[in-house]
Amino acid sequence: MKRYTLLSLAGLLILALAIGIGTALASPEPAPVCQASVLHPNFILLDADGVNVLESNGAVSTMQTCGQCHDTNFIQSHAFHSDLGLSDYEETKDLSSSNGLFGKWDPLTYRYLSQNGDERLDLSTAEWLILNGERVVGGGPATTSRNGALLITLNADTENPETVILNEDGTSSVWDWEKSGTMEMNCFLCHLETPNTAARAEAIHTGDFGNANTATLTDMNIVSKTTDGWAWNTEAFNEGGELKSELLAIQDPTNANCATCHGEVHPNAGDPLTINQCDLDYPQTATTGQVVSGQRINQSGVNLTNKEELDRSWDVHAERQLECTDCHYALNNPSHLSEIQSDNPDHLIYDPRSLEIGEYLERPDHNFARGESAQFTVAPEYKATMRRCENCHDANESHTDWLPYTDTHMESVACETCHIPQMYAPAIQTYDWTVVTARGGASTECRGVEGTPNQVTSLVSGYEPVLLNRTNIDGNTLLAPYNLITSFYWVYDDANGSKRPVRLTDLEAAFLDHGNYANDIVAVFDSNSDRKISSAELILDLPAKEAAVKAKLTALGLNNPRIEGMVQPYSINHNVAKGENAVNDCKACHNEGSRMTQSIKLTDHAPVTPVFDAENNVSGSGEFVTDQNGALYYQPVPAKDGLYVFGASRVGWIDWFGALIFAGSLLGVLGHGTLRYFSARKQPKTHGKTERIYMYEPYRRFWHWLQTASIVILLLTGLIIHRPDIFGAFSFPGMVIIHNVIAVILVLNAVFSLFYHLVTARIQEFIPHPYGFFDDAIIQAKYYISGIFKGEGHPFEKLPTSRMNPIQKMTYFMILNVLLPLQIITGALMWAVQIFPNIAGGLPLLAPFHSLVAWLFGTFILVHVYMTTTGATPLEAMRAMVTGYEEVEIHEKQG
Amino acid sequence: MTKKRFPLWTIGLIGILLLILVPVLYFLPSAQSKNDPAAYIPTKPVHVDHKDIVKGDFKTGQDVTRACLECHEETATEFMKTTHWTWESKAFDVPWRDEDVTIGKINQINNFCISSQGNEKTCMNCHAGYGWDEGPESALASEENVDCLACHADVGIYSKGTFGNPAEGTNLLAAAQSVRVPTRDNCGKCHFDGGGGNGVKHGDLDESLYFPDQSLDVHMGGEVNMQCVDCHWTENHQVLGRMLADNYTIDPQEQVSCEQCHVDQKHEDERLNTHLSAVACQTCHIPTIALEDPTKTYWDWSKSGDEGREDDHFTYLKIKGEFTYDKNFAPTYLWFNGDNEYRYLLGDPLGKDGITYINKPAGNIQDKRAKIFPFKVHIANQPYDVKNNYLLAPVTSGENGYWTTFDWNNAFELSEKKMGLPYSGEYGFTETYMYWPTTHMVQSADQALQCDACHGENGRLDWAALGYVGDPIEWGGRK
Repeated sequence: MKRYTLLSLAGLLILALAIGIGTALASPEPAPVCQASVLHPNFILLDADGVNVLESNGAVSTMQTCGQCHDTNFIQSHAFHSDLGLSDYEETKDLSSSNGLFGKWDPLTYRYLSQNGDERLDLSTAEWLILNGERVVGGGPATTSRNGALLITLNADTENPETVILNEDGTSSVWDWEKSGTMEMNCFLCHLETPNTAARAEAIHTGDFGNANTATLTDMNIVSKTTDGWAWNTEAFNEGGELKSELLAIQDPTNANCATCHGEVHPNAGDPLTINQCDLDYPQTATTGQVVSGQRINQSGVNLTNKEELDRSWDVHAERQLECTDCHYALNNPSHLSEIQSDNPDHLIYDPRSLEIGEYLERPDHNFARGESAQFTVAPEYKATMRRCENCHDANESHTDWLPYTDTHMESVACETCHIPQMYAPAIQTYDWTVVTARGGASTECRGVEGTPNQVTSLVSGYEPVLLNRTNIDGNTLLAPYNLITSFYWVYDDANGSKRPVRLTDLEAAFLDHGNYANDIVAVFDSNSDRKISSAELILDLPAKEAAVKAKLTALGLNNPRIEGMVQPYSINHNVAKGENAVNDCKACHNEGSRMTQSIKLTDHAPVTPVFDAENNVSGSGEFVTDQNGALYYQPVPAKDGLYVFGASRVGWIDWFGALIFAGSLLGVLGHGTLRYFSARKQPKTHGKTERIYMYEPYRRFWHWLQTASIVILLLTGLIIHRPDIFGAFSFPGMVIIHNVIAVILVLNAVFSLFYHLVTARIQEFIPHPYGFFDDAIIQAKYYISGIFKGEGHPFEKLPTSRMNPIQKMTYFMILNVLLPLQIITGALMWAVQIFPNIAGGLPLLAPFHSLVAWLFGTFILVHVYMTTTGATPLEAMRAMVTGYEEVEIHEKQG
Repeated sequence: MTKKRFPLWTIGLIGILLLILVPVLYFLPSAQSKNDPAAYIPTKPVHVDHKDIVKGDFKTGQDVTRACLECHEETATEFMKTTHWTWESKAFDVPWRDEDVTIGKINQINNFCISSQGNEKTCMNCHAGYGWDEGPESALASEENVDCLACHADVGIYSKGTFGNPAEGTNLLAAAQSVRVPTRDNCGKCHFDGGGGNGVKHGDLDESLYFPDQSLDVHMGGEVNMQCVDCHWTENHQVLGRMLADNYTIDPQEQVSCEQCHVDQKHEDERLNTHLSAVACQTCHIPTIALEDPTKTYWDWSKSGDEGREDDHFTYLKIKGEFTYDKNFAPTYLWFNGDNEYRYLLGDPLGKDGITYINKPAGNIQDKRAKIFPFKVHIANQPYDVKNNYLLAPVTSGENGYWTTFDWNNAFELSEKKMGLPYSGEYGFTETYMYWPTTHMVQSADQALQCDACHGENGRLDWAALGYVGDPIEWGGRK
């Protein structure tokens, strides 16, 4: 039987396709705009009892109507848009009872879905639907109770938050689900080009849930409302009782369909884009500033700073004609086979046993591929199923020619971090429900706009997202852009010991008296004595204010009212800019004041220090910082997440320690040199005869100077990489490349030199002889401390076969066996971090070590150069290293 | 001896420097040298002020030319070989004629004022030659008739009157002393006002380009202020660039192209570059035409001569008929390989489907040379000979011309005498199409078309008409 349906469906499709193509080929006229309608056959509209609405004059049932061909029960049970957290619902003493819109505590919308047995009723299921129904697709909590029974079958119970509704006077009465009906999953909402969302919203707001779906079809010459039901226009139906498809073209969801619930979407047509700013009716835009439009920003109608220069589009993907569904596709849609089959065993490139298009159309999975956003926590099992940047783009291909360490960047930085450099729409900053406005709203702050949002005189500046570390499903961590929204609200412990937010109605009772602020509230809040509470006064900035509100809440019978504050990260993944408009200046991050450590304002005033919301995949390891005006900022500390960024990160004490050693040596050398200078004037050097000796053969001189040049360049480039803020003139990536190339030269030079010293046995010169070593070293040290000032001769003769005194031997022994290998190894490991990110502790350990050794090298060079001046004449040793010949003291042979 | 001159250490020093510099330079990303398009603009000769050079008492234009030729001896001979003088193309072998043909204003017609033949009195104020009152043969024969001033004199001083001669009362000495390299003003005099007024013919050339803003044309506008000859490179008075309508095929060597200055210059965006094989630069960089001043898109000659209607420059003139002007509109897009597929020649039969093409650009989706190109289409309803089934060329100007008598029959009989185009005595009006490639009023990248201008549901391209199966964003481009 099923097989037969399927076959006929497929046949129907082929026929429709054939007719479609045939007509398209036959007629020279342009094809109809909405091509999907060609494919979708005409269909009968059925009511909930399965009767043609033309006979019953009833409301249309989408489950029945669409269920004629599609498995609507399958679709509904595989749709988190329908479920909205109902299946995750669990009564709790904490705030959130589910992971979705139905039950998850949202301090922005504030109204709280009451749980069974709560002391005070806030949102009953019916009122939840009235308030949120505009953005509820239907099915799930709109038809089904928390225990799985249909809402319509529930017994009226004044204690059950599913069968009551809160009245304005604070009492509650029974909600009659029979009368209101429930809201089936509304296929039309997403599968019509222009569903009548206004009429639908009106039905929902009046509690007429059962008619909401039918209202979606009004004003299309199909159906109109009568006093007692629906009047179906027989003209809209053909002889077979089927609705004419030209009146109701079923189509794939467009961006506009998604926009109905999610946020601002604008086609790149001629009319300039305007934005409903910080308006929770457009939640995605309100919470992050994301606007899905291909229009050039400077052609939009937004009053933006530097607008003329913004010739990039709002979103490059929208500009390039991508649809929401291209990335957020139905998970079993065979058009997205490559994604579906990405879990194939490695040896299997293609598995032909995939769904046929007909099977898919019967049972399209309406769990859509989704990302890993911080606040959409519903259906966590589908996180990271969507097509992400790297599924379409080969970042290596486009970055390797200019971005050093491409893999390292890609492994620790999300594409969005650079490709969404700035938001150009305002976003919510703060929702403060510790106070309430006269209209019953929160005191709010909006970031990215100067002045009141949504006024033509307000200048929109947009904002730079804060970069936070996100942990993906696969365990990888990435730096990604976020908006942070801070909310403050009162909670209390109810009779069951459950923590609940203070109801809006209680809050209003505390603050307001017949729509105006109560006198005692005015007395406390009115600081300028004008008997009004301005928005500036409406904050809990004084203990007296907080105490007054608390007292009133307590008087209302609320147990232990207290303020909580929460900082919630909102993911930013849209509004992508193409490369030329992305962050592509290395120093944006690799510098003092790096983008990565850039703070973001949380609120002008915080009644309490908020906590960073832990119920998501974002690390809140940063710090809360208050400025002198009392504004609260969030300061990311990437180092706490194990991130080390050249040029931006540094370990303070190492630099201090290194600099101290260097400076100490410099002082020592200067002091020693000055003493030598004066003593030499007082007491000219009386050393014995000197002789010109061929001291250094060419290879020695060659490797010495090559190493000198390498080390000096490495120190300088290293310093620039370490502190690009001081050396702004140099190209950061250029310095990195030079540093790496020279490092290789240094290592090669060291290897060749080692080989030379080994095969010529000259290595012996560098090895201190243990016998009498300390005696000799003390003699040499005495010479430097006193003899040298008295004009004495060098205690040890410098010979071509033995050119070093004991102290030199020891020093070089340390340099060559400890310092140089350490620096080479840490350097090499830092390079290897590209392949093995956490090798030897990763950059956070390696990089500071490398800079410490660099300080020591710098110190060595300083002392080394000074020491060369202690030869027969100050410049003699240096000259020798150039020409090979040195005048050295001849020690008289004893006896 | 050599050892002294080059001590060993200097060799070592050089070796060390090389060992460091060579690898570093090899690994440093080479700065990509961008071709600077401005470098390709020809340098003009240093201006020689002719104030003190040109002397004499000039009574006629020919007097001036004689004076010019005293120093610039070869110039008239050179100039007389150019189409600016001959008004006639080289000979073409066209498939629908047995003999080779030439095309130009001198011998063919268009769908604006139709024909210059017989109308020399007014038409020739755009010919760079004098003496058309003596008849075409005589006018074109003499070197002295070359009008140097039309292109070289300050247009504020010099202007032309009837029969190609200087306007009455022109101070020819002052004009001759003002000569310099031609500016936009000189070229604009004829090319901005072709067809009898500002912006009539071209949708992309009109008087708004005398003082253009950068937003009108990225090359000529604002401080860039490029002149016509910066792109229309000129050698021995041969100006680069050919009028499509006055030719049959055009050798790419003879045509101006964006690439002559924008050498190997591509978009940063790879996706845009994939368009280059099928889309001309003009298509995206000239989103709309006639940006400031309107251009004529329709001309109905049949409505002319109506005594009762009031004249209005943009809608109706008794002498010319009814018009439509349009402004700031999207051009028409066709595959175009630079040639005409057809050019109406005097005596050709009318088109079979009721539309006669004065010219029809060549190219289709299979033609690898062709790219999608923007055109201004000018549609006219113009007279034809009902019995002979060809377009007629009325004599309009002059004493007995149509503009005086408003008698069509008389105008066609006159033209039979002057041009030898037999008139059967019965005329009608028929629709004709003429295509004008759009290549000026170029916009900068930030004003160029975006994806959705062509792709998606409301795109401006008719993919089926262009020969595509569907939007190439989904169906792929031509193979």
